Amino acid sequence: MQLDLKTIEALAPDQASLGAAAKLTKRSNWPRLEAHEQLPLIWGECQGSGSNPYRVAFDTSDHGYKCTCPSRKFPCKHILALAWIGATAPDSFARVDQTPDWVNDWLGRRRKPGQPPAQAPARSEGKSIDEASRPEEIAPVEDAAAAERREAAQRKRAEDTRSAVSAALDELDQWIADQLRLGLAGFVNASSERCRRIAARLVDLKATTLAGRIDELPARLMALRGEERPDAAIRELGKLVLLGKAWRAAPDDAELKRLVSTSETRDQILADPDAVQVESDWEVLGEKIETRRDGLVSHATWLLDLGSPTPRFALLLDFFPASAGRRSGAFAPGDRFKARLVFYPSRNPLRALVAERLGDASPGAWPAFAGGAETDPLAAYSVFQDKTPWLSDCPLILPAGVIALDERDGAWWQAANDPHGIALPVAGSVNQTLLGLDLAATAALWNGARLELLASQSSMGRLDLS
Amino acid sequence: MNELEQAGLARLRDGWISGGAAFEFAPAEWKEVAAAANPDEQERRLLAIAAQALDVALRPAAPKTLKRRPPLPLLALPMLPERLRPSLRAALKYAADARLKTRVATLVASRGFVLHPMDWMPAVTDQESPDVYAPWVDWQAGAEGEKRSGREQLTAETWDDFYPAARRIALIDLRRTRPALARTLIETKGTSEPAEVRLPLVELMRFGLGTDDVPFLKSLSADRSGKVREMAGRLLARLGERGNPTDGGLENPIAELAAFIEEGKSGFIRRRTTYAPTKTKSPAQQARRADLFASCYFGDLVAHFGKTESDFIGAWQFGVDDNADLFLVRMVSASGGDAAVACLADLLVAAGGRLALLVLQLMLRLDGGRKRLLIRQILNDAQNLAALTQVEGAEAGWLEWGDLTSGKTLSALRAAVSGDNDIMKRSAEQYLETMGFLATAATAEKLIGEVVAAGLPPASPSLGLLRLNAALAQNQSHR
Repeated sequence: MQLDLKTIEALAPDQASLGAAAKLTKRSNWPRLEAHEQLPLIWGECQGSGSNPYRVAFDTSDHGYKCTCPSRKFPCKHILALAWIGATAPDSFARVDQTPDWVNDWLGRRRKPGQPPAQAPARSEGKSIDEASRPEEIAPVEDAAAAERREAAQRKRAEDTRSAVSAALDELDQWIADQLRLGLAGFVNASSERCRRIAARLVDLKATTLAGRIDELPARLMALRGEERPDAAIRELGKLVLLGKAWRAAPDDAELKRLVSTSETRDQILADPDAVQVESDWEVLGEKIETRRDGLVSHATWLLDLGSPTPRFALLLDFFPASAGRRSGAFAPGDRFKARLVFYPSRNPLRALVAERLGDASPGAWPAFAGGAETDPLAAYSVFQDKTPWLSDCPLILPAGVIALDERDGAWWQAANDPHGIALPVAGSVNQTLLGLDLAATAALWNGARLELLASQSSMGRLDLS
Repeated sequence: MNELEQAGLARLRDGWISGGAAFEFAPAEWKEVAAAANPDEQERRLLAIAAQALDVALRPAAPKTLKRRPPLPLLALPMLPERLRPSLRAALKYAADARLKTRVATLVASRGFVLHPMDWMPAVTDQESPDVYAPWVDWQAGAEGEKRSGREQLTAETWDDFYPAARRIALIDLRRTRPALARTLIETKGTSEPAEVRLPLVELMRFGLGTDDVPFLKSLSADRSGKVREMAGRLLARLGERGNPTDGGLENPIAELAAFIEEGKSGFIRRRTTYAPTKTKSPAQQARRADLFASCYFGDLVAHFGKTESDFIGAWQFGVDDNADLFLVRMVSASGGDAAVACLADLLVAAGGRLALLVLQLMLRLDGGRKRLLIRQILNDAQNLAALTQVEGAEAGWLEWGDLTSGKTLSALRAAVSGDNDIMKRSAEQYLETMGFLATAATAEKLIGEVVAAGLPPASPSLGLLRLNAALAQNQSHR
């Protein structure tokens, strides 16, 4: 490794980045730090503010870099921190002779490898490693009166938000009643415009998460066949009514607040003593990346707990602006790892954060889960709906089955031993090869109308279907 | 949900679709739950109940007719080990078209594995994929149910037990081992087939073609299909049977073609005959000459000059007219005898340079050994490495390190990857992909080291097939 602090200073876009990087140089922030034995490459995984770690790679010869974080600063604080550790504590890096696939992908895409080191914003004026390394000055102790004033202000803001959200839900109720009065046939046809209008009002009234959900409603309807849309509209609007009523009954409920207005921060979740924590082996089932109408990209990574006797899932959910471009995820479908996950408080704990990566888990088939899916593939969905009737996407493990086609070449999942004539329509088109494979078990999301396949176990091994 | 509730839900649904209050349509139990002071609230409560009913109480109705496909047949080779699938996917991703992807499958099959069907499947029309994939080609083509057991022999009785791709593979095997039996099958079963099936069957006669096939091929001169008659005529011509096609007119096309060729003499002491194309005077003449080369048989042309096929090839003056050279080589490929094809290929390869590339026109007729000679010649020159990608039907995994180091290829590759010329670099990456197919595992490994040392990024996608090649050898040694 040929790194010195002057180089890092020169690379940094500004002093603030150096300051932020300095805080990330603690070894505990990096569950993985590796360096190639022969090549001038270092890489690592840094626990950032997202639900899963950022992947960071740095070429020590030409100072090329890659980070999966959404920062618009180049290089970001994670790159600077990685290089910083490389310069000051090279022994922190485990020496390996193979680069992981994600590093290979980056190397393969690099525009101009082998060039002399990029003389990045080569000037160090106004930036100083020394200054960034200096411990922050301790904030003056707040006096009791000031603390009380601050808490009062916080309470006032919370109260204002609650009033605004309450008003938002009143408007939403009225809007739903209007849609019923005007007719759902018209609503389905004009859903895009109508939903956009009410979503804008909800944003004004601080019900931002709910606004995002309503903004996405037209896309959910349009994904279905024409004759299915009115039923889907009833389901979606009905769930909104339920969510509104639940929030009014318990406006301080963390889960309901998250679904209506704002979510907790990562630090709040990690600091929450009541948050469910699960340490286990996890498999990445698949990813769902959607660009939303509000300009954000939602990146959902679904995990399966391989150590649980009944199917347990976790959802790592990140958002970043679409303008930041395509962003590679921290995990690839099929990856297995040991980790401690912290779940967001919920009646159905699904959304989670990776609190600690504990190494890789061994490959293999999924365990045989108990849970009644053999007799009723949607049994888990009924339980899910009992607890959280305002939610849609429910992860399931389906028993042995096949994919079959209807007369319009729509794909259906059908149980191999199907005593009840149950078949579930599959979203989108499927790889035709799948029609010839017996699926021993399938992980999928069921939203009441369509099945989104994530992964399967088959006689030909694991199938990535996301 | 009971029937009354279902009927009530249907009424509510209809009411909401058309618009207006629907409270009156609701089932009595729902009305009790939804009773409220204001009508809007009543509707919303009913909506919430209906949403839950639709979600939980009603299950999606399966269509009456769901078509299931038969299981994908198991192939005769084991699946590529899971740990090699990332390398395989990288190689497939880099392969730009279906032909190059098939080449990846061919390399893997040559090392004793088949690909995972979710990674790659042969197309329905694919005749280039390794034979082991025939059951999947038939499955893709819509074959319903398993027909053929792996060990079953193709006979007149078992003919219908084979799907088309599997039958084609079996017939090729038979033509190579028991050509008479295969001919009898084609003769007896082919007559009842339509022309589009009969033509590819007759085309298979090219495998193991011999004089015993002459009577059958002659009998096809009365076939209903013009394409079948033409195919049979070409096969007969390869066996030295004169065809004398008439071109539909009164003139003798062989004489007309011969008029485009000038007989001459060369050498002072030992005079020998030469044949060279005459200079054409107009585009119309050029077009006519091209038509005649394409429609006449080589045997008839050399007979016109009173020469054997090999003598005529030896006397042809290559380099006088590039188009005429190309037409002649194509003519030999289509209707020349095996000896003429071998003679011509040897002559062109020995000539090297641009002439050696004409051998690419003979690919369908060449054996593996001569294809290797051609590839070695191309590598030796390193002038036309792009021609490597056009070598059809080349075998996988035989190119030794010495084949690369003895010529100029390795130094040309090193120079290209270390230089600044992006076009040269991209071309070099394409050649590396081709070499990933041709090379032995040891050669692949060494070549990766060479080009990486020369400046190619170790993770360059163009090294994907070379890496897979090298990894496949390691895996074989683990087995």
